[in-house]
Amino acid sequence: MVLASALLVTGCAVDTTAPARTAVRFHTAVSAGQMENACAMLSAETAERLPGPGQSCAEALRALRLRPGGDVTEVSVWGGDAQVRLTGDTLFLHRFGDVWRVRAAGCESVRDLPYDCEVED
Amino acid sequence: MRWLKENSLSLTFLILFLACVGGQAVAGWHDFNDQQLAQHLDRISFLDYVTSAPYAVDVAENWQSEYLQFFLFIMLTVWLLQKGSPESKEMDAAGAESDERQQIGRYADENSPSWARATGIRLWLLSNSLGIVMGTIFVLSWLAQSVGGQVAYNSERLVDLLDPVPWGSYVTSAEFWNRSLQNWQSEMLAVLSMVVLSIYLRQRGSPESKPVGAAHSSTGVEG
Repeated sequence: MVLASALLVTGCAVDTTAPARTAVRFHTAVSAGQMENACAMLSAETAERLPGPGQSCAEALRALRLRPGGDVTEVSVWGGDAQVRLTGDTLFLHRFGDVWRVRAAGCESVRDLPYDCEVED
Repeated sequence: MRWLKENSLSLTFLILFLACVGGQAVAGWHDFNDQQLAQHLDRISFLDYVTSAPYAVDVAENWQSEYLQFFLFIMLTVWLLQKGSPESKEMDAAGAESDERQQIGRYADENSPSWARATGIRLWLLSNSLGIVMGTIFVLSWLAQSVGGQVAYNSERLVDLLDPVPWGSYVTSAEFWNRSLQNWQSEMLAVLSMVVLSIYLRQRGSPESKPVGAAHSSTGVEG
């Protein structure tokens, strides 16, 4: 029973398309200059922490000049968290209810350390 | 009533098990949601929690250590002895013992299981069935711990903006071995305590103890 549960939670039927779609839509919105739409795809914590003093989320996102995301190359989903690798970026997402939101974007790998991200919570 | 009395030990432990596993689920759910709130993440439902990796790994890591404990106890006491302990066989009885003493083959009586009169694989299976089942449950529980643990571990790594790791890396990680060994050490200590303390201490009426008046040096005597 526990083994069955464990196999179940490994995500034999894990949906990788939903977080990938959110990651691509986020970068599409950023590339199109639709920063309000992109901010709406961020987690509440990330959207709250992103702006500097007197800045809106959209203004802060525009100022970061994130590189284009590109195509999806790999998606890893573990529990309620996901990592989506694009040709131009790596994003971290969390599932809130049925909705995937971006926790971190503009991330670069740092050996043996957490990713260094332009946008993070 | 008679049936209840004759099965009261199993029934009591079944009720205690269900109460404890249910209590663990409720307490674990609240604890998990407290951590979610601290990380500014959503609370999850009770059903989502009891089908989640964190719950599966918490249950499995305790199961595997308990079944390992009993598997080792069953198998090692075939060969290893402890003078004075009711948990040990007598000093001249180490090993698989004679057919006569084990009541198998032509020494089986009319009440013996039918496979005790059989030969070959059926007799071997019956003769080792307890160890096989306990050992198998241990291996499956440990496997479940590794599978559920990998999910929970990788989910935490993603929260910390780290890459997830494959199963092979997880089962050689400090996290996996820390979880396993912290359970194993307590199980080994419990068996050691039982074997040694029962040489000198008594619990009147318990079959796990020697009779109160039995000598400290008497071995393999249960009260």
